[in-house]
Amino acid sequence: MASDQDLVVETVRDILTGFEPFVLTPERRWDEGLWSALAEAGLTGVGLPEEAGGSGGELADAVAIVRTLAAGAAAVPVAEQLLVAGPALVAADLDLPSPEEPMTFAVADAVTVHPVDNGDGPGRFTVNGTVTDLAWAGVASHVVLLAPASAGSDGALLALVHVADLEATDAFNLAGEPRGSLVLDQVAATGALLSAAQAQELRARFALARAVQLAAALEQVLAWTVQYAGERQQFGRPLGKFQAIQMELAEMAGEVTAVTALTDAAVQALDRGSADVVLAAAAAKVRAGAAVEVVARLAHQVHGAIGFTQEHKLHHLTRRLWSWRDEAGSDLAWSRVLGAGLLAGPDDFWPALTRVV
Amino acid sequence: MGALYNRAGNHHNDVGSHMSNSLTLAPAPRSDAAEQVRAEVREFLAAELAAGSFETHVDTWLGGVDPAFSKKLGERGWLGMTWPKEYGGHERSAMERYAVTEELLSAGAPVAAHWIADRQSGPNLLKFGTEKQRREILPRIAAGECFFVIGMSEPDSGSDLASIRTRAARNGDGDWVVNGAKVWTSNAHHSHYGIFLVRTSPSDSANRHAGMSQLLVDLSLPGITINPIRILDGGHHFNEVVFDDVVVPGDMLLGEEGNGWHQVTAELAFERSGPERFLSTYPLVAEFARRVGDSGDPAAVATLGRISARLLALRQMSLRIAAALDRGELPNIPAALVKDVGTTFEADVIEEIRKVVDVTPSLDSPDPLGRALAEAQLHAPGYTLRGGTNEILRGIVARGLGLR
Repeated sequence: MASDQDLVVETVRDILTGFEPFVLTPERRWDEGLWSALAEAGLTGVGLPEEAGGSGGELADAVAIVRTLAAGAAAVPVAEQLLVAGPALVAADLDLPSPEEPMTFAVADAVTVHPVDNGDGPGRFTVNGTVTDLAWAGVASHVVLLAPASAGSDGALLALVHVADLEATDAFNLAGEPRGSLVLDQVAATGALLSAAQAQELRARFALARAVQLAAALEQVLAWTVQYAGERQQFGRPLGKFQAIQMELAEMAGEVTAVTALTDAAVQALDRGSADVVLAAAAAKVRAGAAVEVVARLAHQVHGAIGFTQEHKLHHLTRRLWSWRDEAGSDLAWSRVLGAGLLAGPDDFWPALTRVV
Repeated sequence: MGALYNRAGNHHNDVGSHMSNSLTLAPAPRSDAAEQVRAEVREFLAAELAAGSFETHVDTWLGGVDPAFSKKLGERGWLGMTWPKEYGGHERSAMERYAVTEELLSAGAPVAAHWIADRQSGPNLLKFGTEKQRREILPRIAAGECFFVIGMSEPDSGSDLASIRTRAARNGDGDWVVNGAKVWTSNAHHSHYGIFLVRTSPSDSANRHAGMSQLLVDLSLPGITINPIRILDGGHHFNEVVFDDVVVPGDMLLGEEGNGWHQVTAELAFERSGPERFLSTYPLVAEFARRVGDSGDPAAVATLGRISARLLALRQMSLRIAAALDRGELPNIPAALVKDVGTTFEADVIEEIRKVVDVTPSLDSPDPLGRALAEAQLHAPGYTLRGGTNEILRGIVARGLGLR
């Protein structure tokens, strides 16, 4: 993104350097110290309006923070909070929890949300059911859920639940990030009804958040691999002097550049409120996911055996890449959304394509 | 943790910023003017298709020669778009030109006759040509009446361009006498002029890039023989152009004597970054999309989505180059990268589509998808060879990464 974000990037980097690399284990599910430092600096509310309790700033600022933290393999729910859950609450005119309390997002097809009249006026609900594959389960204090609306309605319900007291199951993605389940039994929620289109835009936001993280992590993996190829000597010269290695690094660079170009364009589409933001986000997610296979494979190939161990830092990002590409909607799911969406409109295929980004 | 272990993110500064200097370009701004002209071209193409003035084919910037069609584009101001008006140009942006070329390619329109002249030779003349050369030739290119061929490779010089042997020597009248042969000269048999890279001084092993010059050659001159070289589908696009004591007037040197290597390099951003580097097989994708729209087959829908995601990324990459050209930059390294990714995609779509449709490729197929697959397949080896092989391109990208 543009250089306007340089300052925020520097701030985040300065904070990051104060923390040891965080090795996720079932006992250590997130980097609480890093989160506190980010929250203290107001960075966990960036892009959310000040009048709603956020720190203000633009979408581009929030994206820059998410990118920097993703490249740093930071174990904190910033992408979910700044790019998905927070903006969803603001758009639905619901009260934001304090940005210092970690918040996550889930598409929860298996929960039911019922309106209740407890005398506090409209917008009060009770939530029942199990939220599965929940990012930062057991870590986040609040979850913003996208749940099916009651039968007969084609919209969806957006519900904010406080879950700090609930126990999550032990389940983790390939990188060890918590992805457990949460059982909600008569849990009180504030909420709002979304149209089907709004619900799909929110799913797309989630996918785009992962695409932004993927783009940043892919760039970083390329940078690490270029650096390693320049430093590691074999047969009397750096690996990077071998043509075979150069071809692999160039192929990685092509993939990374493609992902960055499309992800930036999709973020801009979101920023200007494009009517095609769902397809733009789908495309960014699918393209980033496709790059993961090439970039992670070649990064490990160039790093050799040391990169295949937990001694070396590479796994912090490659394991995230392998997980993120199928989170927030799988590669297959978003490929179908994109293909079907391009075919569905009134236009021929080419005009539909050129309209997306 | 050991010395290997550094905080994730720490290295972003050094390596990351190095990369951003040479490989990464700023996002392209949205251009209303480009969208305006895009709509005009779309309307024109729909009318031409309806009138049966052309049939959609794959890879039409190589195979679709139609001088009458080129002239129509010239009349509408869609050739020489970015050049000064005093040379017949239209002083429009590279972003607008991008939109025009993209629309023409996506429709599979016959653009081969003028393609090289408009894309590359014209800008080359603008940059290095004499005033006389510009005034005589550029307005005719912009009118769609003058076509060019580029002669770089030779029978013994493929990717290793510095090894060319075609020679040009001054005679007593100050004219150039040219001897040698150029190959892969696309559409030389339909062209009026060629720009040929020739040796004007003996090769120097200490400086392999020295001693070469570009000559502007009228292809009707005596001593020039143009022999067809047929590609896999039997099509005649390539030629061997043989020079046998061809006397080229002395004032037809392009640019400076001995500066040929530099001048060729300066063309590369134009040659390597345009939408023809990822849209050569788009007509196949369009035919596939029609099929998927009819069948609704979920696997094919997903494949169409995956192809589309790659295509959309390539558009953004190529648009960034167009925007950089508008800023007056010459982004050769990003252009090499786009061409590598784009031409790989052009061939990949054949395999992606094959996996999800039950169609036999044949140029004689009654099924348009079978024909498009056949055309794309038989042209496929060329995508990653022409204009610099992908191995050469990756070498350039590796230089951009600081590896060589």
